Amino acid sequence: MSNNNKKELNKVGASGQTKDSPTASDSTTEQSQPSQPSSQPSPPPSSSSQPKQSPAKPSQPPATTAASATGAGSKANTTSQPAKTQPEPPAFEKGLVDQIKNKFGDTVNVLFIKPLRIKIQVDPQNIVEVANYLRDRLAFDHAESVAGTDYPKDNQIEVIYHLGSYTREELASHILWLTTRTNRDDARLPTLINVYKSVEYHERECYEMLGVYFEGHPRNERFLLPEDWADIPPLRKDFKIKGR
Amino acid sequence: MTSIEEKFEESKRLGLQIVKESAEEDRLMTLSVGPQHPGSGHFRFVIKVDGDYIVFCDPDPGYVHRGEEKMCEHRNVIQNIPHLERPVIHDSANINYSYSLAIEELVGVEVPRRGQFIRAIASELNRQVYTLYWLAIYGIFLGHSTMFMWPTGDRELLIDLLEALTGARVTHAFNIPGGVRNDVPEGFKDRCLRQIKYLQKRFKEYEDIFYNNPLFRQRTEGVAVLSKEDAIKLGVTGSVLRASNVPFDVRKAEPYDIYNEIDFKVQYMKTGDCFARAYVPLLDMQESCYILEQLLDKIPSSGEVRAKLQPNPKGPPGEAYRRVESGRGALGYYIVSDGTPKPYRVKISVGSFRNMLALPHLLVGQRLADMPAVYWSLNYWPVEADR
Amino acid sequence: MASYPQDARFGGFVGSLLWLIFWILVIVALVGLPLIFIILFYVPLPEIDGEVLTPYLFLTSILYPQSAVPVIETFLDSTLFKVAVFPGFTYGALIAAATIFIERKFLAKMQLRVGPLYAGKIEGILQLIADGLKLISKEIIIPSGADKTIFWAAPIAFVATAAAVIALIPAAPGWVVADIDVGLLAIFAILGFFPLIALLFSWASNSKYPFIGGLRALHQMIAFEIPFILSALSVVLLSGTLNLTEVVESQIQSYWFILFLPISAFVFYISSLAELERVPFDLPEAESEIVAGWLTETSGMIYGLIQLGSYIKTYALAALFVVLFLGGWAGPQIFPAQIIPESEETLIPVLYDATIANAIFWFTLKTFGIIMLMLLPRGISPRIRIDILLHTGWYKLIVLAFINMFVALALIYGGVLGPGGLLVR
Repeated sequence: MSNNNKKELNKVGASGQTKDSPTASDSTTEQSQPSQPSSQPSPPPSSSSQPKQSPAKPSQPPATTAASATGAGSKANTTSQPAKTQPEPPAFEKGLVDQIKNKFGDTVNVLFIKPLRIKIQVDPQNIVEVANYLRDRLAFDHAESVAGTDYPKDNQIEVIYHLGSYTREELASHILWLTTRTNRDDARLPTLINVYKSVEYHERECYEMLGVYFEGHPRNERFLLPEDWADIPPLRKDFKIKGR
Repeated sequence: MTSIEEKFEESKRLGLQIVKESAEEDRLMTLSVGPQHPGSGHFRFVIKVDGDYIVFCDPDPGYVHRGEEKMCEHRNVIQNIPHLERPVIHDSANINYSYSLAIEELVGVEVPRRGQFIRAIASELNRQVYTLYWLAIYGIFLGHSTMFMWPTGDRELLIDLLEALTGARVTHAFNIPGGVRNDVPEGFKDRCLRQIKYLQKRFKEYEDIFYNNPLFRQRTEGVAVLSKEDAIKLGVTGSVLRASNVPFDVRKAEPYDIYNEIDFKVQYMKTGDCFARAYVPLLDMQESCYILEQLLDKIPSSGEVRAKLQPNPKGPPGEAYRRVESGRGALGYYIVSDGTPKPYRVKISVGSFRNMLALPHLLVGQRLADMPAVYWSLNYWPVEADR
Repeated sequence: MASYPQDARFGGFVGSLLWLIFWILVIVALVGLPLIFIILFYVPLPEIDGEVLTPYLFLTSILYPQSAVPVIETFLDSTLFKVAVFPGFTYGALIAAATIFIERKFLAKMQLRVGPLYAGKIEGILQLIADGLKLISKEIIIPSGADKTIFWAAPIAFVATAAAVIALIPAAPGWVVADIDVGLLAIFAILGFFPLIALLFSWASNSKYPFIGGLRALHQMIAFEIPFILSALSVVLLSGTLNLTEVVESQIQSYWFILFLPISAFVFYISSLAELERVPFDLPEAESEIVAGWLTETSGMIYGLIQLGSYIKTYALAALFVVLFLGGWAGPQIFPAQIIPESEETLIPVLYDATIANAIFWFTLKTFGIIMLMLLPRGISPRIRIDILLHTGWYKLIVLAFINMFVALALIYGGVLGPGGLLVR
């Protein structure tokens, strides 16, 4: 890893959590030849179709303290680095986000735009509409997975749908993260099964692991857990693994 | 009527009703292709059979659920490697590969070039090991015992190769965040090339005895066709998707590490029946042999294989989603980090779990005798789906 | 590879030996002696040179071995010998045992393995005994709702029926347990009993997977009985008799029937594979679909008996193929007329008969050849599906059998075969 990236990360540490850059021994990392010159975090915006370099860039957008942001995550302006400007979001992804924002305006909250990954947040009541738009207009035709994360500090549970596209060539490498948050005590969300059939088992697993009830889903039942499970949903943070 | 006679009439009426309701249910026989079944693995699905035709199917996984995702939250980033590779022990390089890529993105580490090549070599070898095992089980599910013995025997050669490379036969714990654990031993390249040549010869023999066998073709051609629209709608992945005329491969769509420097084709077939789903993995294995030859050719002759991380590596708070093409399909990791050495949330999106959705869709309407052929053609590994 | 327990003492070992000797003596005294008395009192003993065999006469044969020859000859002619030793149960069981071993080794070599290797000094030759002992020592578990009578009776009936088929097959001229004039018809009648046994056993198991397996066995065996009978019918046309010994005689007089009836032989071969439930027709036992089919609930010796019956049936059908199509025991005479010439003093040369030895040799050789041919598809094909199977059995094989029957009729009416025919020597 080259040095300037490390410095960038050091400066980014002002945004809240403890931030130690990996104290890799400089000698080894400098001798190792990185595969591509990794000077700037954002790839040239012209590569809108299937960027050829590996997107494993350690480009940390400085603002995604998603753990503590209560939905009002902003894109680019929590911290500024004294020596560099905010990395420019890549143009193709920005184009997609602009399309979404044009249609939905303020109901969609864009959390970050990274190369090949976009994260947008919507409220539970709008999610079906947004998902329909994403599927019909932007050709994100299937959901790769549905993840639920428990944030007890904000008393919320966040459910993320990772959407991908098989039909549209330029979108083959992109994953759009469609997220929504719900209250932890009475977790209810509308189901996206009528939009994306592929979420059926994922939502069911989310129900049993986190206790989120998906309204409209045909079977909100236990799936992977044993039949005699009598405890709280295991992926919640207050579920302690026995014996630890 | 007296009250007793009324009650009598009432119970007669109810009795007849109960009998009539269950008469239709009586035609159907409920079978539990359960965990104690030679044709199901560690997985259970309940089917209702009307004569010889299946009319209902309901998968019931969870017999090997171990709580991988919860366990990840209690161990730090490096301690997660050994237990994360257990869900699919014979393809462990790929499931660790995806994890390592996601962690490297969060922590901010760049893997040295030689390490990337070795990671790709281990990944391709493991893909072949898994696919040979899958092919062996497909043979025995159809009753072909020779097709069970041959790939299992050939797989031993690759496992010996991996043992020389990593030190363990199946669960290597080889791909770690930062690179690989050790360098290749001496003479590895020649040995690997010899094995690849031998395997390419064997693939022809597999075609002779299995794929061109008229009985096999009769049993799988035209059976359980998954159309392109259904495949996309159900979100299946891997060889199941490629057999339904969708040429999607994560190594081509979103090249990770050095896959953008390797020249290979995405193999796919257009028919979408069981035969296509059985044939695409063989084509994938042949492509994998070409990829391995290029990798061994282009690997830099010296260099570091691992970027050393601090003892408790942690990155800034963030989220990452990386995916890798494993033997079963796109294997994705979604990791949330809150700045501590232990991940806050790890979600593994495995190909088997996504392909499981195609099982009830395809089995309904098929004969009971087609059940193992259809079930195993979906490239489903039960342990991985349960995590 | 056993290791001795640490506290084994020699005295304990001697004690167990004495215990064993004690029990042997008890059994001999309580069972063996009464048996001898029953035989001596009730079984009519053979006459030798005008004298009834007494124990005194029997014991003098130790001094004069040649006086035992008539005894042995009488014994060899008796029905008991034919049933128990040759060509009956012992012979069939020995061939079945050899078949099992050869099958395992043969398949192993085809599949890049070695097969049995450790039991016995030479290449695992005692593996069968080890497996038999293992099966005997296992617990027999009967499901709770099962019909106990049929559960116990069906495997025994299976083995008995298979052995009954052997009883009708001639292995050498004059050596057949039951020389019936309608031998071939009797064989088909006995073979028709097998689907019934399978169905009864699967029903008695009171479980879903055996039920499906039993139905499949019923469908399969019934579907293939008709081509079976039709193909054998062509042989009957050519030889003019249903008696199996005379079928072989007529092949010795002309040529082997497989030259005239190759299609019938093929149909017979496929049908016998289906009757035996061998791969590719092992649907009733399809392991990956219906656990073990109608054998699911068998355990221990019941499973062993059914396997034994299955391999005895293999020998029986292979021997039938040889008798019908390959000329039975016909073959060039390769045994000399006398083993040790000009010696009539010792025992074996007197009993030796060159033609019989030749017949036995060729018969066994051909039967083993056909058995190997029946083992071969197991290494090559996957399992067939039930609808393809029934389609083949009911449509295609019957048509083929009819074709060859017309060929046979043409040969008879054209004067090529049959009495006074062109090719009859």
